[in-house]
Amino acid sequence: MLTNKWCQVFKKTFGEIRVLLLSLAFSLLSPLPRRNLNYFSNAYAAAVSAVDPDAGNGELCIKVPSELWKHVDELKVLKIHINFSLDQPKGGLHFVVPSVEGSMAERGAHVFSCGYQNSTRFWFPCVDSYSELCTWKLEFTVDAAMVAVSNGDLVETVYTHDMRKKTFHYMLTIPTSASNISLAIGPFEILVDPYMHEVTHFCLPQLLPLLKHTTSYLHEVFEFYEEILTCRYPYSCFKTVFIDEAYVEVAAYASMSIFSTNLLHSAMIIDETPLTRRCLAQSLAQQFFGCFISRMSWSDEWVLKGISGYIYGLWMKKTFGVNEYRHWIKEELDKIVAYELKTGGVLLHPMFGGGKEKDNPAPHPHFSIKHPHTLSWEYYTMFQCKAHLVMRLIENRISMEFMLQVFNKLLSLASTASSQKFQSHMWSQMLVSTSGFLKSISNVSGKDIQPLIKQWVDQSGVVKFYGSFAFNRKRNVLELEIKQDYTSPGTQKYVGPLKVTVQELDGSFNHTLQIEENSLKHDIPCHSKSRRNKKKKIPLMNGEEVDMDLSAMDADSPLLWIRIDPDMAVLRKVDSEQADFMWQYQLRYERDVVAQQEAISALERFPTPASRLALTDVLEQEQCFYRVRMAACFCLAKIANSMVSTWTGPPAMKSLFTRMFCCKTCPNIVKTNNFMSFQSYFLQKTMPVAMALLRDVHNLCPKEVLTFILDLIKYNDNRKNKFSDNYYRAEMIDALANSVTPAVSVNNEVRTLDNLNPDVRLILEEITRFLNMEKLLPSYRHTITVSCLRAIRVLQKNGHVPSDPSLFKSYAEYGHFVDIRIAALEAVVDYTKVDRSYEELQWLLTMVQNDPVPYVRHKILNMLTKNPPFTKSMESPLCNEALVDQLWKLMNSGTSHDWRLRCGAVDLYFTLFGLSRPSCLPLPELGLVLNLKEKKAVLNPTIIPEAIAGNQEAAVNPSSHTQLVGFQNPFSSSQDEEEIDMDTVHDSQAFISHHLNMLERPSTPGLSKYRPANSRSALIPQHSAGCDGTPTTKPQWNMELPRKGTAGLRRWGEGGPLRVARPPRLQGSLGCGCAPDPSPVLPKGQLER
Amino acid sequence: MADAAATAGAAGSGTRSGSKQSTNPADNYHLARRRTLQVVVSSLLTEAGFESAEKASVETLTEMLQSYISEIGRSAKSYCEHTARTQPTLSDIVVTLVEMGFNVDTLPAYAKRSQRMVITAPPVTNQPVAPKALTAGQNRPHPPHIPSHFPEFPDPHTYIKTPTYREPVSDYQVLREKAASQRRDVERALTRFMAKTGETQSLFKDDVSTFPLIAARPFTIPYLTALLPSELEMQQMEETDSSEQDEQTDTENLPLHISPDDSGAEKENTSVLQQNPSLSGSRNGEESIIDNPYLRPVKKPKIRRKKSLS
Repeated sequence: MLTNKWCQVFKKTFGEIRVLLLSLAFSLLSPLPRRNLNYFSNAYAAAVSAVDPDAGNGELCIKVPSELWKHVDELKVLKIHINFSLDQPKGGLHFVVPSVEGSMAERGAHVFSCGYQNSTRFWFPCVDSYSELCTWKLEFTVDAAMVAVSNGDLVETVYTHDMRKKTFHYMLTIPTSASNISLAIGPFEILVDPYMHEVTHFCLPQLLPLLKHTTSYLHEVFEFYEEILTCRYPYSCFKTVFIDEAYVEVAAYASMSIFSTNLLHSAMIIDETPLTRRCLAQSLAQQFFGCFISRMSWSDEWVLKGISGYIYGLWMKKTFGVNEYRHWIKEELDKIVAYELKTGGVLLHPMFGGGKEKDNPAPHPHFSIKHPHTLSWEYYTMFQCKAHLVMRLIENRISMEFMLQVFNKLLSLASTASSQKFQSHMWSQMLVSTSGFLKSISNVSGKDIQPLIKQWVDQSGVVKFYGSFAFNRKRNVLELEIKQDYTSPGTQKYVGPLKVTVQELDGSFNHTLQIEENSLKHDIPCHSKSRRNKKKKIPLMNGEEVDMDLSAMDADSPLLWIRIDPDMAVLRKVDSEQADFMWQYQLRYERDVVAQQEAISALERFPTPASRLALTDVLEQEQCFYRVRMAACFCLAKIANSMVSTWTGPPAMKSLFTRMFCCKTCPNIVKTNNFMSFQSYFLQKTMPVAMALLRDVHNLCPKEVLTFILDLIKYNDNRKNKFSDNYYRAEMIDALANSVTPAVSVNNEVRTLDNLNPDVRLILEEITRFLNMEKLLPSYRHTITVSCLRAIRVLQKNGHVPSDPSLFKSYAEYGHFVDIRIAALEAVVDYTKVDRSYEELQWLLTMVQNDPVPYVRHKILNMLTKNPPFTKSMESPLCNEALVDQLWKLMNSGTSHDWRLRCGAVDLYFTLFGLSRPSCLPLPELGLVLNLKEKKAVLNPTIIPEAIAGNQEAAVNPSSHTQLVGFQNPFSSSQDEEEIDMDTVHDSQAFISHHLNMLERPSTPGLSKYRPANSRSALIPQHSAGCDGTPTTKPQWNMELPRKGTAGLRRWGEGGPLRVARPPRLQGSLGCGCAPDPSPVLPKGQLER
Repeated sequence: MADAAATAGAAGSGTRSGSKQSTNPADNYHLARRRTLQVVVSSLLTEAGFESAEKASVETLTEMLQSYISEIGRSAKSYCEHTARTQPTLSDIVVTLVEMGFNVDTLPAYAKRSQRMVITAPPVTNQPVAPKALTAGQNRPHPPHIPSHFPEFPDPHTYIKTPTYREPVSDYQVLREKAASQRRDVERALTRFMAKTGETQSLFKDDVSTFPLIAARPFTIPYLTALLPSELEMQQMEETDSSEQDEQTDTENLPLHISPDDSGAEKENTSVLQQNPSLSGSRNGEESIIDNPYLRPVKKPKIRRKKSLS
């Protein structure tokens, strides 16, 4: 594959072989002059495309000396050898080194590769594209106490001569893209799966018992997938590694998955178990689709995400049941609908043609969706969500059987191709493309799904239905009116079939309506005459016949309830109007959990005793799905609050809770915990939380409820329980927090202990005790600390306790468990917003720049975006030029090693300042814009000499054939980015304009001339000093892992891109030093020599 | 004078005894006897020609007399018991006197001397009766296998067990209440202690003591404390496991109780590492079959060298 491509490149460019490498993209720019997001977004997208490996671009160019050209003309293969070292990488590889006594192994130090999408180039030079496959031979030399886990089969482990280190030899014979290569090194405990010996699990020291329990389930997931796909797991082995400070919870790579260590749990934990199992199943689904089968280009990503998400959904259905599955689908649907309506659409299959763009105005003005690395993280999450929902829509159309056949076909083609070692052109079968996928669907099923694809894949947006109806007694017809809103952002028009289910007295009937351009009203004939007195059971959709009390319904109408699109066969939001009694019937008697949940959310609008009764009945019904019952709790609380003046009896749910969970003899004491029944457990957890939301006429939480919750805490007794009650206790604290109402404040008096409300005092006492006990007896994942911190913030916000971020700041420090940190940071973010504290905002931004854990940095930006201290439409003292500068710098250069972080910074910038120039900036910037336009054609003369200087410098080096460690120094001082001012601004303008040109001529040589100027990235190909081809040895890349000894990486040439048939001998050696430090910078023009 | 002193002494003792009379009949008896002895000593002194005597000397003499008589009695009793009798005879007394160096032959003459004084017999005071033992119920008759000459059973109260205790607190509510408040008190005391002895954080700037929060301290390896169950929980888990088994045995009743060893062993197995036995079992069984590359021994470097050279 790649070899072919190279040849093509070669033929086109005559003599230049470009190794597509290390896309540093925008980091190479100094801060752009115009602090305008539109401008940034375009420039960034241009920069990313300019180095997009999918498009055949890259960052490291290797020029083939002219004396070799003739070899190339003869189509001989060149072998290239790149030596490089990697010092203190900021991205790509993440080191976790706890600062305790002892050797690295004793300290539990480890390292793993991480990143978002194709980010492998951050840690070794490669063609970092999902579509470039090759086979691999990997070698890692590590300390003898460490284990190196990587892709493929471990062939052997050999000691080095001094016996202090050992080398792990891995061989991956299945063609795999560089982006799916990963690595984890650490003093891992090894567990061979007792059910499947080819599966090995790794965890950090001391966690082995947890690992045993956590992974004991994995074999069932394997069995399930292999059965439905009728295909064996494609790799010969599978490894799971659980590491600390994970970048994402689950990352799937070829034949191995990297998980967060926080997914591990013991048998006593209830809540985490399903979550962890879901993560395991998700990663395994991605092994088939995502790792083994890779994608042709970014626009085909949705197929992979869709299929893996879809089969994961099937697993959910089988494991957790249909109710859970449907609930999940509804949840995902609600999420995507809310997101698209809010932000304006998620496009699954972005086309790159120029014309298409106009049909579909970019829904996300502040970032480009043409490239994975420019996407907002939230968008990407939603993208995955939509992908699997669309896959489900396809299944609805062609049936599951055909769907699985298609998957099987894809897999079997791919596995045939993968065994063709010497016919690499066959390997394209291992790449999936949208068109290929659609073709095999039509081949297998014979059905045309083009309209569906056009609607959901080629277009963004969801459908918004408004349904209302009237019953025409004379004609015995239901007149249903379905309106659509397709003008607001994020919506689209739907034309096609729509299923409507009508529950009548005589049974449930499905009708398929044809939604067309102008037809709004649909007449649906009813089957039953209106109500008769005959007492008859009413048949439901599932064949069940039930007795109903029909006294509530309208005597003239036979309609019990109506559901529009009950199977969620359209990505839509439905607002339908029904009378309250219809919703109540739907809640009580409809067996579909989705319908029940819809009814619950609709009943919030009908605070009547009848609604109360319906909800209470559902709450009590043991057969009812527990999540529905949980939702009913919250709805009941809302209804009770609306009915506060007419409410009779004890507070809502209190008597119910007492009956279900308290002792018979003494109703104020809760039974000792027994969580054997998970349904009751979840209900027991939720009810108090919902109850705490009750308010009396003074809008205070009733004293009775507070005492009740305090009693629950007091009498909580877990001694006889098989399970841990940490989540339960945490929710009790949440309940306490929910009960807090704003303090009555007199003239902004300072909050002191003396004027503390007695109820709050009780709450505070509990929180103090819980928080302190956590120090002595920590709970699993510190759930209780997390809840306590949240509760304290609630107290602060409501004016009971002086608002003060210092407590949270101490909990947010590095060294606390990540959940605690996030909770504390959330409180600080909230404080920043409420108190408009510039200082805290600075503190947060500093943490974004400096925190060792990538996830935390990402999360801070994410939380700031969700809960911004101010927005673009708001006047705020925080909005000043320094902040703009700071964020701008962060976007431009501070986050070059982490796509996700940069996109997070862009999101935040967008939220704070909007698209155009921030209002707080002085006007003169505009002058520069004009400048830019003028200078677009003519490069600023000031930078040219510099570039030449760089060239000269570079020219000296290759001839010396030295490794480039020392080489970086001359530039390190001169290019300190922080001090860059106007000169470099010109520089970057030139760069941008150059890149904009680049798009038109993607393979223009000389690309690198301006690019490397101001990088502070983790990895920069320092220099290419020529090529070294030795006849027999495989190209060897040595990578220095500075803290762990060395890891040598070998890319095995067999059939791979670097395959050498009869390699001509090349002069020189290709050195590639990687400079992680901000200071060492690539010399300009270096690569071009 | 001596009389007066004696009588005064007697009177004094009499009043004293009178005051004690009400308290103790046994003391009363002894005092009366001693008073008689005092009268005897006084009359002997008078007989010997003394007109008066100091109280102390009379007392001393009385003491001596009493000792002498007591010694005679004790000695006589020894002699009589020596000959396996319980009642002393005259000869026992005689032997005693002889033994004590008293010339017995002079005794009848002395007894018949002319100037002897006759004193009135001491007032009859009743030997104090031992207070009657409380009779609690009927003494049990001998069962047939015990010969009737054996002593009777003691009073039933000496051997009948009537366990008494305070009414146990069986009220569930109270118990729960107690357990809850106890635990809470312990927790509060403990946390307060920790807070007092260590660094704290406070929610109120003006007051650091009411709601002291133990200061947050970063861990070097935070995930360990967060993920591993605490020792308490481990213990609990074992306990609940075993208690579950207890419940089972309760319902299935005795047969399992007979072999506690077995169930104990089972308990161990089913505790924390549940899969351990099966896992290790399968591993042990198939050690040779499992060919996981990570379990293979690490090779010596020699081979590698050749390889890299080739």
